[in-house]
Amino acid sequence: MVISPVHYIALPLFAAFLMPLLAKVNRELVKIIPGVVLVYLSVVSVILMQQVVNTGQPIVETLAGWQAPWGINLVFSQFTGFLVSLMTFMATLIWVFSYRFKKVDNEPALKYYILFMMLVTGSVGVVLTGDIFNMFVFMEITAIASYSLTSFYRDRDGAEAGFKYLLIGSLASTFMLLAILLLYTQVGTLNMAMIAERMHTVPTGMKVTILILFVTGLGIEAEMFPLNGWAPDAYSQSPSPVGATFAALVVKAGVYSLIRVIFTLFDIQGAYQYLIVMGIITLVIAEFAAMKQTNLKRMLAYSSIGQMGFVLIAFGIGTKEAVFGALFLMFNHAVIKSLLFMSGSFFVYNSTSKEINGLSGIGKKFPYMGFLFSLGAFAIVGLPPFSGFWSKLYILIAAADESMLALVAIILMVSIVEIVYYFRVVAKLYFGKPTDEEVVHKPTFGGYFSMTVLAAVILVVGFYPDLITGFLHRAADTLLDKGAYISNVLGH
Amino acid sequence: MDPIIYNKIITVGVYGSAIGLILIGLYAVLVKKHLTKIVIGLSIIDSGVHLLFIAVGFIKGGTAPIFSPKGIELVNGGAQMVDPVPQALVLTAIVIGFGVTAVALSLVIRLYRHHNTARIDHIKSLKW
Amino acid sequence: MKKAFIILLLVVVGWVLADTFSQITFGESRLGDVKQPETVGAYYLNNTVEKLSVANVITAIVVNYRGFDTLGEVTVLFLAASGLASILYRRKEKGEHDVMILKNSSQLLQTGAKLIFPAILVLGAYVFIHGHLTPGGGFQGGAIIASGFLLMFMAYKDYHVSHNVLTWVESVAGIVFVSVGIWGLISGATFLENVLGTGTLNDLISGGVIPLIYIAVGFKVAAELTGVLETLLNFKTEK
Repeated sequence: MVISPVHYIALPLFAAFLMPLLAKVNRELVKIIPGVVLVYLSVVSVILMQQVVNTGQPIVETLAGWQAPWGINLVFSQFTGFLVSLMTFMATLIWVFSYRFKKVDNEPALKYYILFMMLVTGSVGVVLTGDIFNMFVFMEITAIASYSLTSFYRDRDGAEAGFKYLLIGSLASTFMLLAILLLYTQVGTLNMAMIAERMHTVPTGMKVTILILFVTGLGIEAEMFPLNGWAPDAYSQSPSPVGATFAALVVKAGVYSLIRVIFTLFDIQGAYQYLIVMGIITLVIAEFAAMKQTNLKRMLAYSSIGQMGFVLIAFGIGTKEAVFGALFLMFNHAVIKSLLFMSGSFFVYNSTSKEINGLSGIGKKFPYMGFLFSLGAFAIVGLPPFSGFWSKLYILIAAADESMLALVAIILMVSIVEIVYYFRVVAKLYFGKPTDEEVVHKPTFGGYFSMTVLAAVILVVGFYPDLITGFLHRAADTLLDKGAYISNVLGH
Repeated sequence: MDPIIYNKIITVGVYGSAIGLILIGLYAVLVKKHLTKIVIGLSIIDSGVHLLFIAVGFIKGGTAPIFSPKGIELVNGGAQMVDPVPQALVLTAIVIGFGVTAVALSLVIRLYRHHNTARIDHIKSLKW
Repeated sequence: MKKAFIILLLVVVGWVLADTFSQITFGESRLGDVKQPETVGAYYLNNTVEKLSVANVITAIVVNYRGFDTLGEVTVLFLAASGLASILYRRKEKGEHDVMILKNSSQLLQTGAKLIFPAILVLGAYVFIHGHLTPGGGFQGGAIIASGFLLMFMAYKDYHVSHNVLTWVESVAGIVFVSVGIWGLISGATFLENVLGTGTLNDLISGGVIPLIYIAVGFKVAAELTGVLETLLNFKTEK
């Protein structure tokens, strides 16, 4: 059996269907199987990425034996492959983190791990697929898993957060369905490459309507303003590993789908300006809101939304350097935000309240965790020599190259806001007066391991960004080259 | 009846009822205070969208896309078959809509148990 | 004030939708030439009989051409059932009623339900076994069977379906579906490709793996929908 992209979907599904039966045999198996699957998929990522980079050609896999556009196909290119590998590695680390995570052990572990694995599979599927209705189906898989995982804990306001998320999510999927329907009537196909090819036959008015419907539908998962009202509640109420998964996987899939629709399918000039404007609005509102938060997880959630706004701005600028910077930022955000969520969750778990004020002095009780959190904070605001510095720098350079100096000013101003609220937390960690509580919950071995790996990545990439810039450049090229995508999939 | 007017009436009827369903559902979601009614509104929106899907695939004078003995006879006699793709897409969309409704209802039950009310304005944290 | 604003919003949405859809003529064929297919629909109509020997083109689309979508859809159902169970899970508290329906329904409904229930099951099974020949298929058949169970739930307050059995049926059916796909992979073809012979048109055994997949889907959907009803009605705790 050849290693091919369909393993990313087929194996987790097989495992998910098998798990309820295995749970009757042995409870521990339920926790181990997702790990086995994810480790295997990480290995698959390495093999496939190697193949794609060496040959320079994407892997286009047809399913059910029907060539595109008559059947569905999966596309593992330098761009999609990079994103999928990133997601799979992050998912593996998050699994390691949650393996003996105290709170998850007490609740029904079987359901949690099934939902978690499907969340990962759904996000990966969104990125891999080459067919637009298939993308919708995978988005719904991701969405339903998210709704259920957000409301997982009984002792929090999870149900409210989940319900709000569900409402906005359903409306968004309605918009997306309408967009797909209209698009189908115009071009007669559902394959993304063929849609891109036939897009010029669609009258402009219809094109604009469909684009607006798509952007509204996809903007929710991409946390674009004003569709991101669900995010702070969902991030803060869900279990911490799930919050990390949202930040590292789900939102990346959402941004990917938005970018794929705008760059490859539509390619209208106005869309790029729209991305920049919405990105700025998202960034500014989110960062200022983050400053006002007193709850640590909500603050991190708003910061996440702001970073995504930044990514949208970079994609909106549209030049090769800007897209390169955007991809770099997506990589950094996945790594750093997960680290912040993981370390932050331990602080919150060990203090009396979820508020930042309740964290005073904890940095001294858990010096290593404090170090990790501070590392993450410094990295995300873009201080050298951490990885976050490079992505911000490249995007600023790209903006300056396009003479968008107002944009540069806004980004720098927002960075100052970021520094303020992150340093406030770090200061509280170290310089506050410690409370006299017992150390109740130490991080598990799995927790230490995954967080250390993430911190190492931040440091290594910070000092030697060339390790991944090669991948990123190729990814940016592949994304921008619409003609190559069409010819690779359709074969002409 | 004049065929053009007849066509117009059918078109308005079909599209109008589907869009009407979407608007009714949207109204329920935005205005109603009781959580179950909001979920029903979501379901109605879904029904409207599915109707639109099927309406779009229809071909005048067409027959079902099934090659049964009778179907083959009709095709050989010159009839056209309707577009099968929207119907297949609707199958998937209906099931997905069911999944979302099921999760939504379970959340409503949980909220009701917790707060002893199912009205959205009495549950503080649901405020926008 | 707020209501007026919402009515305005609805009018705008309605007008935009109506305007957009008025450009899509109702009843006009957008398929193009069926013999020289340019659009996906025309291709399916043209090629299903020769390549797959399946009479119901929609079944062929759902299970074969776009079988991957169906796999995703089955997953959505599975996820919805899991999510439902995880959200409603709780430990049983003392003295709490186990069941939501508190009294039996009328004699008419009880007798009628008992009589019709086997017929509904047979109808559902017929629909999903003949999915490739007549309108219908796995999802439709599964839903019919689940409605039969719903009738029994409503008629008898103590009617239970064993959660164990449902879980087994669900999981096995799902595994069968994915295995058929992987079988395609292992035989050197692509995932979910048809690896059995196709047989003749309009036979019960025709279409290769298509009836197999649809039967698995039928069982899975029936088990899942019944499981969802069971969870909502009985709030049983998880083991």
